[in-house]
Amino acid sequence: MRTKSLITGLGAVAGLCLWMMATGVPASAHHAFAAEFDADRPVEFSGTVTKVEWINPHVWIHLDVKTDSGATENWAFEAGTPNVLFRRGFTRRSLLPGVDVLVDGYQAKDGTNRANGRDITLSDGTKLFLGSSGTGAPWELARPGVDTVDPGR
Amino acid sequence: MTRRLLESLGVATVCATVMALLINAVPVGGQSPETTVWGHPNLEGIWLDVYSTPFERSREFGDRELTTAEERAARDQARMGSQGRNVRGGDGRVDVAGAYNAVYTSAKPAGPRTSLVVDPSDGRLPALTAEAQGQNELRREWTLMLLRNTETCQSGAAGCRGGEYGPPSPRRFDVTPFYNTGRMNRHDGPEDQSSGDRCMSGRTPDFNGFRRIVQGADSIAMGYDTGQGQGFQRVINMSGSHPPSQVRLRHGDSRGRWEGDTLVVETTNFSPKWPFRGAGENLRLVERYTRVDADTLSYEATVEDSTVWTAPWTIRQELKRQSDEENRIYYEPRCHEGNYGLPALLVGRRVDEEAFANGTGPNPFSMDTATCVQGL
Amino acid sequence: MGKGTTVVMALVAATMGAVVTVAVTGTARETQAQGQDPATRPARTPDGKPNFDGVWQANNEAHWDLEAHEARAGMVMQQGVYPYEFSKVPAAPVLALGAAAGVPGSLGVVGGDGRIPYTADALRVKQENAEHWIDRDPELKCYLPGIPRAMYMPYPFQIAQGTDKIHMTFGFSNAGRVIHMNDVTGPPDYTYMGHSVGRWEGDTLVVEVSEFNGRTWFDRAGNFHSQALRLTERFSPLSPDAIWYEVTVTDPETFTEPWTIAMPLYRRLEPSATVLDYPCIQFAEEFMYGHLRREQLVQRWEGETMTVEITRKVPPGDLLHEWYRR
Repeated sequence: MRTKSLITGLGAVAGLCLWMMATGVPASAHHAFAAEFDADRPVEFSGTVTKVEWINPHVWIHLDVKTDSGATENWAFEAGTPNVLFRRGFTRRSLLPGVDVLVDGYQAKDGTNRANGRDITLSDGTKLFLGSSGTGAPWELARPGVDTVDPGR
Repeated sequence: MTRRLLESLGVATVCATVMALLINAVPVGGQSPETTVWGHPNLEGIWLDVYSTPFERSREFGDRELTTAEERAARDQARMGSQGRNVRGGDGRVDVAGAYNAVYTSAKPAGPRTSLVVDPSDGRLPALTAEAQGQNELRREWTLMLLRNTETCQSGAAGCRGGEYGPPSPRRFDVTPFYNTGRMNRHDGPEDQSSGDRCMSGRTPDFNGFRRIVQGADSIAMGYDTGQGQGFQRVINMSGSHPPSQVRLRHGDSRGRWEGDTLVVETTNFSPKWPFRGAGENLRLVERYTRVDADTLSYEATVEDSTVWTAPWTIRQELKRQSDEENRIYYEPRCHEGNYGLPALLVGRRVDEEAFANGTGPNPFSMDTATCVQGL
Repeated sequence: MGKGTTVVMALVAATMGAVVTVAVTGTARETQAQGQDPATRPARTPDGKPNFDGVWQANNEAHWDLEAHEARAGMVMQQGVYPYEFSKVPAAPVLALGAAAGVPGSLGVVGGDGRIPYTADALRVKQENAEHWIDRDPELKCYLPGIPRAMYMPYPFQIAQGTDKIHMTFGFSNAGRVIHMNDVTGPPDYTYMGHSVGRWEGDTLVVEVSEFNGRTWFDRAGNFHSQALRLTERFSPLSPDAIWYEVTVTDPETFTEPWTIAMPLYRRLEPSATVLDYPCIQFAEEFMYGHLRREQLVQRWEGETMTVEITRKVPPGDLLHEWYRR
């Protein structure tokens, strides 16, 4: 494994771990990425949303994607938990079938058409990070400058 | 169409919404009558602890049960600036493995209590029995043994504290020497997965989730929305006796009575399969619910298991009424029906094992799929 | 206070006329801390409504098959020696259970001519469902059973009748439903157990249920519906200990017209009656994930007259994950 990226990566993740513990997020709140998904299989697709499963523990976004060969494949991307979204007013109408999006993430280890989603990009360029998630609550601690959508990299 | 989508995704309004939501509960129960139609104190509604209160008290507070306004403000200030809300690491894998995004998470403000635990008076749990300590050591040793060949241990990361780096242990295929409900670095079958991964981590007592209370004549129902779809129902029978002791139930059997205006609930017949902080079949729980005002419920829980703690302990919290409308509880707080991750965890490991057997992949036990450090 | 009490209840059912005599004795006296004695539980709330509080259970064969049917040899069957339907025999999945593997007969609970009015396409799906019961019935995965199925599964359920909510807790998989007697917005997405809004019409509790996700079945015979399902339930007291439960089922995507089911629900009268959990999420794990274990766990059983060997298989590719989405 590459040592340099290992150390940088570790530092970032260690910080995240400490933050998670400090905010009392239960350890079982998110999945073991490496057990299901393959870090060496990044995927990126533009596609049309066919279905969104607003379910626990993770929302799944299903897309029809056009592959290079011209065929249409159906892919499922794993997103965060719906609880907090629902408490903010999201409903099944918030991401409708027929919407065109760009998604990227990492494919499932077993090679099936499933991926852990990193970003979903809407047609105006706004990115919505899909990431893992914690538990939700209806009140927010205001985080000026933080509680906005990352304009993306 | 895009703007509509954006607005419906709440992107443009997250900031505004956040600023508009105040720290204190918005009173919604102004019309809540003091008694139910049956003449009992009215505890009905959806209730939530709206504060982020540490479970145990930080030692600097000593025996002090309440914080000052300044202390709360300082704590909120510190957490407001905390990282992790939109962290973008250089490595996309780090992003998806542990990162939390503002849209999916929220944080509760600090509350008036220094801790949930109020008895013992220092706000910290009583000492564990020797038996419980032994069980914890057994668990710790087992999980470290399974991490032995990973980079977590090679680099001395926190997840391997107390462990050592080395080749995969010859014990790695042993039957787990305790009834597992946590995560471990192995995926031989569902028993190797945590309760949460198996969508059965909801426990009684629960202090964190929403609870909806419905009071019938002779029974009280409580529906819990806790964790990510780890919700459950409890029924408190107001008459009758506990089942025979060989009947063991995940949330125990609850029998309630009124002591003046307080609902007192005794729960026994817990099961070893869904332990609460290590307490299973010997757990005994006494809860007390008292209506403080139309929007506030005082909740106290005394936990007793002499095989785990050397003394009983008590938590106290004030629950605030939530609105049916604005709250938007996820009406079906279950995750079993959507638990696509559990078969994926198992099949992913089978793929790794095959690759290792073919010589095309590393030993699966060299990969950490259990602690915070994921797949690096 | 230690007297016995005899209660005579008259139950008039659509298909059966029977007079049932129930003797309730005072065995629970010592153990009653507070709350109501079953024999004197108020039949009405203080504001005059029927009181449905307590533990209830259906006592019929609806959970096997809503439509009338004669007894069947096995929950899963195969062709017998003869080519007739009536000579089918238990198939491999249930053979070892002998006579315990069958399905009891039933006069059915479907109104009208007793047949569920499927569209032609839907009827084909129903028949396929029945043939592939083991692979398709969501009950076998311990998925939430939906409404009305939860109301007549062979497990008790508890009703807590509150001020403006009625909460039902089911023994099967700790399922629950809340009937809103006041005005609330529906759920943010479709659900397994539906969104229930109730009102009183005289002594009848009328409940409109909608917002289903279409993933539940009505019974073990493959009877199903779509997301368009809407129900109107009617709970009418026959006596303090029996409810006449009627449901009108509407789903224009599956059925050519609305249809009804009806049955009594009976109170569990034992002292200390309570809903015991049927925690099948754990019970079903071997069924759901056993084929993904590193080493197969359940393989073989040896009896005196037969050996049962199980071979698991992993559906290829995405089919593996599709199986969980049903």
